Amino acid sequence: MKENKFVLNSHGNGCEWQFNTAAMSQMSQSPYLSASIGEGFSPGHWNHSTTTSTLNLGLGESSATVNSIPVGKPVAVSPREMLLSTAPKLPHFPVDSTFIERAARFSCFGTGNFTGINFFGSSPAMASSNNEGFGAQIQKDDLSENKAVLLPVDHESFNGSSMKKQGDGNSQISVSNGESHVNFPEDGPEGNTGSTDVALDSSSSDLGENKRRKTALDIDKDQVQGSLQFLSQTTTENIQNEQKVEISSKQSGKNGKDNSEVAKEDYVHIRARRGQATNSHSLAERVRREKISERMKCLQELVPGCNKVTGKAVMLDEIINYVQSLQRQVEFLSMKLAAVNPQLDFGGEGLLAKNLLHSHGGSSSATRFSPELMYLQAYPSQHTLVHTGISAMASQSDTFRRTITTQSTSGYKESSMQVQQMHIPWNEELIMQMVYSANPSNPHMDSKADGFAI
Amino acid sequence: MVALRFLRALSLVRCSGPGARSPSYRARGIRRAAYACMAASAGPRRAWSRALLRKIRRRPGRGLRRPRAVIRRRRPVGGGDPLEVALRRLVPGGGCMEYCRLLEEAADYVKCLAMQVRLMQTIVDSASHVNSID
Repeated sequence: MKENKFVLNSHGNGCEWQFNTAAMSQMSQSPYLSASIGEGFSPGHWNHSTTTSTLNLGLGESSATVNSIPVGKPVAVSPREMLLSTAPKLPHFPVDSTFIERAARFSCFGTGNFTGINFFGSSPAMASSNNEGFGAQIQKDDLSENKAVLLPVDHESFNGSSMKKQGDGNSQISVSNGESHVNFPEDGPEGNTGSTDVALDSSSSDLGENKRRKTALDIDKDQVQGSLQFLSQTTTENIQNEQKVEISSKQSGKNGKDNSEVAKEDYVHIRARRGQATNSHSLAERVRREKISERMKCLQELVPGCNKVTGKAVMLDEIINYVQSLQRQVEFLSMKLAAVNPQLDFGGEGLLAKNLLHSHGGSSSATRFSPELMYLQAYPSQHTLVHTGISAMASQSDTFRRTITTQSTSGYKESSMQVQQMHIPWNEELIMQMVYSANPSNPHMDSKADGFAI
Repeated sequence: MVALRFLRALSLVRCSGPGARSPSYRARGIRRAAYACMAASAGPRRAWSRALLRKIRRRPGRGLRRPRAVIRRRRPVGGGDPLEVALRRLVPGGGCMEYCRLLEEAADYVKCLAMQVRLMQTIVDSASHVNSID
């Protein structure tokens, strides 16, 4: 009866575990933990009330043991009947994540104290004998539990702890919930039954799911999280790593692939990869680190000769050196241009425009725009433009010289012209964009150019 | 795009008077024109281009600067890494950015800088070629 009551309570309140004893209240924390963990799983996979019932069974079992009530024994003895009897009674959870949460809580509960629960083992035989041990362990775990996994994706811990929790019920649970995805996946070294492997696979498929931001259960989870915030987050990573190691290589390989394949979205949906901490801070840090590494890769491509360089520091050094060398080159080339320029005529901006237009039959509508725009319309590629312009200049140097002399009398002040030049750009940008929109063949301004940033 | 601007600017620099100014003055003008063209062509979307243009337009001794409500320093990042500090100094407007943003801007800046250098090199080469022909 008691187990049923537990089950009903757990289901009825959606993660509200109303235990009567203090020890059981301690226990109640773990379900919340696991619930918080399981919260990230999609409901689609957690559609079996039987699984919830098994979870409840586990809970009932543990709580029973906590109370040192021999109820655990009957539970251990006939979990199957419990399952069958309780399954229909349980209301189908609209949000299966509740179950996931609980399962995750279990998992994290167990995760936090691997060593403690280890002796629980996966063997069913141990369960009954370890019932009292359960209680003691559970209490110990509660006290020493600093390893709460707060974030949703914690499959390994979930797997391990839930497995441990179930202990004896594992085999039966797996049998009864052959299809359920949430079957408490086993923790590697403890002994992998075939069913648990199945569970693992199914649960590992959950790895591909994103953490949902706020659902109805999230509120519960948040409450729980708030209460459990003090639980350590530092050890979670260790636990995660442990679990990663423990889980069978086959699954980890498969899961790792899945994880790496699925893209991580931005701050709305973040998936913690297998074996990584799922703390919110560490997740954000990981995202940031990946952004930085991505940018470093871009920089690596830009800087010549940096493909072999590994390491951020060396790369940064190379980048700095390259930027400095480029700036020095600009300085040097400007000096060279200043020296060379008196002999070279650039006065043919208008001349160039005229030449180009004549050669390409510029449209009459282009006359409204500045010569640059006409250039752009005529020459989508800046590269060719430069060469054409310069070659045009070179070919008509005599004409240019004449124009230069005439233009030199214009009396423009260099500084003022520069300033005027400066004011123009942004307006020209708009016009350019108009031009670009009109000519889709032109490369977009922001797109990477063929050597020219447009 | 950059080519057009730069050629135009160069022509303006020439116009100021080939004989009136010393080559060093002209060189400085050309350098400023180069950076200005680069920044202008990069677009206002880039933080470095905005900062660069701001730096160029801000002529020393231009007069009282209106105390505009320009939030320049959003977050002067604590420069613990000397490399990062150096990069911030190199990239225009790099003092206020976050590290992530800094890398992004640095990439764009490097790209534009390289392009500008190539352009100038081409001009110099063609100029010297033209001169050699003549």
